[in-house]
Amino acid sequence: MGKTSIKIKLITYFLILLLVIIVVIGAVNRITGDFYLAQGLSVALAMGIGTIFGIVFSRSITLRLNKLSNAAKEISNGNLTREIEIISEDEIRDLEEVFSLMVNHLRTLLLDMKSVSIKIHETNSTLIKLAKKLLEGSNEIDITAKSIAKSSEDQTEIIRNTTIKLEGGIKVMDELVNQSAHTISKVDEAIKKTQKGETNARETLSHLELVLKEMGEYAKPISRLPDKVEKIKVVTNVMEAIAQKTDLLSLNASIEATRAGESGKGFAIVAEEIRNMAENSKQSSQAITRLVEDILVDNKFLKEFLVKNQTDLDKGREIIRGIVHTFGDMLYGVKEIFTEIKSMEEATIRQAKELRSFSDKFNELASFASQNFESTQKTAISTRNQKVEVRKIVSTIRLLDRLSEKMIETQQRFSLPERTHQLPENQPEENQP
Amino acid sequence: MKLFVFKSKNELIGIESDYVHRIIDDIKVTPVPLTPESYTGLLYHRGELFDVINMRLLLGYPDEGSAETTRIIILKWLNKKLAVIPDEIKGMIWIDDNSENKNEYYHEELKIRLIKPDYIWNKLSELSYGPCKI
Repeated sequence: MGKTSIKIKLITYFLILLLVIIVVIGAVNRITGDFYLAQGLSVALAMGIGTIFGIVFSRSITLRLNKLSNAAKEISNGNLTREIEIISEDEIRDLEEVFSLMVNHLRTLLLDMKSVSIKIHETNSTLIKLAKKLLEGSNEIDITAKSIAKSSEDQTEIIRNTTIKLEGGIKVMDELVNQSAHTISKVDEAIKKTQKGETNARETLSHLELVLKEMGEYAKPISRLPDKVEKIKVVTNVMEAIAQKTDLLSLNASIEATRAGESGKGFAIVAEEIRNMAENSKQSSQAITRLVEDILVDNKFLKEFLVKNQTDLDKGREIIRGIVHTFGDMLYGVKEIFTEIKSMEEATIRQAKELRSFSDKFNELASFASQNFESTQKTAISTRNQKVEVRKIVSTIRLLDRLSEKMIETQQRFSLPERTHQLPENQPEENQP
Repeated sequence: MKLFVFKSKNELIGIESDYVHRIIDDIKVTPVPLTPESYTGLLYHRGELFDVINMRLLLGYPDEGSAETTRIIILKWLNKKLAVIPDEIKGMIWIDDNSENKNEYYHEELKIRLIKPDYIWNKLSELSYGPCKI
């Protein structure tokens, strides 16, 4: 149904009234023929009807306005349950609609305010819990920060001690490096000496081989000597045999000379001289035999000595060969030791370098630990400040909570219709601050 | 007097040179069984057979083995002949026959016992039979 404004109503009513007057005037005029009467009657009728109409019309407006006024009063008293009836289609309807809309908005606002209060309350509860947790966390952070600070202090001390030990280790490593270099020079010297010893042993071996060869050459005449001595013995035996024969002959000659008597005396003397010569010859040959036997004994001793020398020299040669071999093994071993010590030296240098790097890292770590200590101190201070701030936040939350309570109290001053008097979902009663 | 002197053991024994016929050596002596120990055997020399007597054993000295070269003295007197084996032949010496004891003489302070060839023969005959030498 379209809206009808009061103005149109009034015009309509006026036109109807005018029409009635006109009709009345016409009718009276027709009946009576008196125009003035008709005019008077129509004026009186019009005035009466107009008055009645005015009263009725104003009463209808006043009543509706009073309803609105009453509703406003009830709303001001907190009663929002009152519904505004919207009947007409005039301008008051707009007012009623606006009023109704305002009431609805007010209801929504109150509901929203309640919801917001509840949410604030819930949020406050959550915030308080969070604040408690934050406080607990801050306490834990504080304790942890203290512990970290203590640990950082201990760590700094440990790192300092470790750094001192590392520096000691670096010194030891440097000494090791120096010692390794010294050892390498000694081993190098040992290699040279071993090589020289091997060369000397080889030279000795070659000289010994030469001596053995010369001894073999010298031994040949000595080995031939017994044959020659045997020949001499044969000759001396022949000489001795001749001497014996001569002796025998001289004996028999002397016997014959004796038998010859005086004439044989000279011959006897000759025979005696011959016998003496034979005896001398025999003794000489015996002396030669003894000398030859002595020579043979000496030669035998010399041969034995040479054989023993040969054996000893062979043993010496074997020993020197062993020494040469040993020198070779020693050289190989010393070279291997040299390589090992060299690699050890390189490893030691690397280790010293790494230890230095490690020491630098430890110094950095000490710096970090010191910074960490300072940071934990700052963290502890910040945590304390944070706790103060959290307490302030908690007091603010409580203030806010009280405000929300007041808001709820304010909202509770208004009564809402049943359909709107529903709390938002899950009102937490336990979350009272 | 001229003596032919030889040595048996440590004793110098002299025989008048007239009894000495020859000195030989390296002659094989053939042993004879059942004869005394001092009877060395038989010697064949230049067509003659000689009894060979070891003087050392005959004089009662122990046998100490033969010398390197065995020389044998051949004695001949009257119609008798004998060969003796000395330890060592010293040779001919001249001695003065003015000693009271006709069995002992001294030459250069060495005592020489003078024996006759018959002494050897008689001494041998006194001995009993000896062991078998073959």
